[in-house]
Amino acid sequence: MGHEGVGFKSGSTRSGLPTTRSRVPRGRQIQKTFNNVKITVLCGFVTLLVLRGTIGVGNLTGSTLESEDQRVVEDIDRILREIRTDSEPEPQDPLSSLYFANSTAHNWTYAEAVEAVNYSLGPKISDWDQQRQVWLSQNPNFPNRLLGKHRILLVTGSPPNPCDNAIGDHYLLKSTKNKIDYCRLHGIEIVYNMAHLDKELAGYWAKLPLIRKLMLSHPEIEWIWWMDSDAFFTDMAFELPLEKYKNHNLIIHGYPDLLFEQHSWIALNTGSFLFRNCQWSLDLLDAWAPMGPKGIVRELAGKILTANLKGRPAFEADDQSALIYLLTSQQDKWMSKVYVENSYYLHGFWAGLVDKYEEMIEQNHPGLGDERWPFVTHFVGCKPCGSYGDYPVERCLSSMERAFNFGDNQVLRLYGFAHKGLVSPKIKRVRDQTSDPLQVKEKLDMAARITM
Amino acid sequence: MLERCIGERRLRQIQRGVQNMKLTFLCLLLTLLVLRGTIGAGKYGTPQQDFIELRQRFISHPHRALAEQNQPEPKPKKSDKDDEPPLRSLNDPYSLGPKISDWDSQRADWIRRHPERPNFLTKTKPRVLLVTGSSPKPCENPVGDHYLLKSIKNKIDYCRVHNIEIFYNMALLDAEMAGFWAKLPLIRALLLAHPEVEFLWWMDSDAMFTDMAFELPWERYAPYNLVMHGWDEMVYKDKNWIGLNTGSFLLRNCQWSLDLLDAWAPMGPKGPVRTEAGKILTKTLKDRPVFEADDQSAMVYLLVTQKEKWANKVYLESAYYLHGYWGILVDRYEEMIENYHPGLGDHRWPLVTHFVGCKPCGKFGDYPVERCLKQMDRAFNFGDNQILQMYGFTHKSLASRRVRRVRNETSNPLEVKDELGLLHPDFKAVQHHAS
Repeated sequence: MGHEGVGFKSGSTRSGLPTTRSRVPRGRQIQKTFNNVKITVLCGFVTLLVLRGTIGVGNLTGSTLESEDQRVVEDIDRILREIRTDSEPEPQDPLSSLYFANSTAHNWTYAEAVEAVNYSLGPKISDWDQQRQVWLSQNPNFPNRLLGKHRILLVTGSPPNPCDNAIGDHYLLKSTKNKIDYCRLHGIEIVYNMAHLDKELAGYWAKLPLIRKLMLSHPEIEWIWWMDSDAFFTDMAFELPLEKYKNHNLIIHGYPDLLFEQHSWIALNTGSFLFRNCQWSLDLLDAWAPMGPKGIVRELAGKILTANLKGRPAFEADDQSALIYLLTSQQDKWMSKVYVENSYYLHGFWAGLVDKYEEMIEQNHPGLGDERWPFVTHFVGCKPCGSYGDYPVERCLSSMERAFNFGDNQVLRLYGFAHKGLVSPKIKRVRDQTSDPLQVKEKLDMAARITM
Repeated sequence: MLERCIGERRLRQIQRGVQNMKLTFLCLLLTLLVLRGTIGAGKYGTPQQDFIELRQRFISHPHRALAEQNQPEPKPKKSDKDDEPPLRSLNDPYSLGPKISDWDSQRADWIRRHPERPNFLTKTKPRVLLVTGSSPKPCENPVGDHYLLKSIKNKIDYCRVHNIEIFYNMALLDAEMAGFWAKLPLIRALLLAHPEVEFLWWMDSDAMFTDMAFELPWERYAPYNLVMHGWDEMVYKDKNWIGLNTGSFLLRNCQWSLDLLDAWAPMGPKGPVRTEAGKILTKTLKDRPVFEADDQSAMVYLLVTQKEKWANKVYLESAYYLHGYWGILVDRYEEMIENYHPGLGDHRWPLVTHFVGCKPCGKFGDYPVERCLKQMDRAFNFGDNQILQMYGFTHKSLASRRVRRVRNETSNPLEVKDELGLLHPDFKAVQHHAS
């Protein structure tokens, strides 16, 4: 023990006590520093590994259920983005080069632009009435009347890609169901278009080539009825008074004073109108189309329309303004065959109607078609499919739901049901089931009052 | 001072000990961290969970569907609770409605009184009502409604060409029979309200027409009241739960059908009835997984256990795809276009491509989302091409929404016939008789 103590003591005087730092050999110091550095590097390496393992992107060997879902979520985001956008490039607008190439050198006028573009809906047909008559006589199995009534084809549509706003597709679906219901009750065929038949006449003008194409393909159809996708049938019992129109070829909702005296840009509404399948209609379509082609023509035409129509804001030419301009500037040529209808709501502007539905249910009954029970409620300006409309989104959506349910009640009534309220998708039974359902059916009147 | 208490040697020992402890502690901490990162520590959280929480707090979720998934289930509102019917007990029998026993004569009387709405459009072609539907609420998947819209457009097109009426249902007629059973009360209500309809054709919303030229062989079904896609051996011998498919079937409007619906319904009511029935079905039917009773399994069970009563009026069609499982069809469309033509309806050119399991309206189905949605686009375009060719157009490719012209405009449009003859086909012709 004593020896040890001595030995230790002597050793300690030689080891690295703080007071005797100068006496520590260099080697030992370097070794110590080297050890420290090793440990630091090792710790740094381990830290990096750990960080990479936890926060790093990519393979986690022990992934949990949440991370699996996270990946699926990211996948769905990517897929939805792909579906929404069209991976194909926009076709080159052949007219834009025309515009930009010469715009500095030459100030295009509308007439020049129309001539340069030289747009046409198709080869000129001059004998459509005769062609159609011959075909009908050769095809008695495809008459233009069914049960005494002229055949009508309802045409509507929407763009082929998903709506920017997902709720827009839901209301397109409801609008389509609403049209299916009315047309089933009235023996009308439906064409739902999702194809851009003519890239020059895109947007609201797309209905022109479509209507022409359908007229020429279906000679058995007497009336083509265009209806916007944002218009809902709210009177399921109302039947179009076609006998009133036997001397007319275009039936459109509007106000004659707004049209002839004020030249207002909302004097007529092209959201819901009927064209007779005849030569006159083909001629009108040909006269209507020139303002439509995308690009320079539509822009210059827009300026003319804004200058000539009351209240029209400045934007490119739209089909409604163009038709009003055409009919007012060539009154003598066309107006004798145009019926400007306002005795019922072939088009009913939604804002003045949707709040009155409960009042209508209480006081009136279906079948009237006018302000007491509107035939069509048209959600102009709402644009639920796009990113923004002219009205607050919530008001638009809840009003569309109300209009849909208001019409749907008249359909559900046949089966003994009704919606619980105009905003509710839920339904309740309003007529008990019976073992004699056909007795009830015989007494059912589509135009009877609705009880809620 | 400490030196003098303990002694230098001791002090150094302690110092060294402390340093060792520090090192040990540090290493232990590191080890714990690494373990937590790789294996996870359950309820104490993993770094991934931390990351998700952080992300959620700072970045708003772009999609309704997926945000809902991370939030807890909202408490059911009182008004919802009132609507929920009390769950039916096992010994309380369910009924679709008051028993009717003379439907055939009631119906015949009505048809006699209303000659303007005959139940046969021509000698052989019956009046058909195609019935489909979806929920009145927006889809949870943001593009679900878009695919429902395309699906109904597809059905509108087929039915216009074939002179078939459509009923699109968005109403839950009986809350007890919710889910796949909802079609039963609907079908009964429609049969009774439309005596002029001879055949009711139920079709799921995830089924699309891919052969626009195929007309159903109505004469073949004259002796039968129920036509489903399936195979006799798979149903009656194997008792396989997918021996037939109730996603697309025909039901004649007659007393037999009302009786069938009454016999089919008992397994449907939500709650213990459906759960117990599910157990019976799994036990009896081949390959059926464990879940509550569904209408398809119940139909197989009914046909197997009451064969003598029903089988002679049931036709299990396998000559064409009244229902065509999408998995084996969608990759072959290009091959079909090259080798065959529309109007066949079978494996060469399927009448119906049915996206079983895809559930585009819900959050996630049984198949990867991408494959489902892209294939639904292809199937839609495959069918749509046959409609567009009537007007001289076609899709640029089966994946593309864009169309291109394939037939020029002419000043004699009535002399041009469309290739498939769908503009004025025989099966759309009106009976030529003095009206």
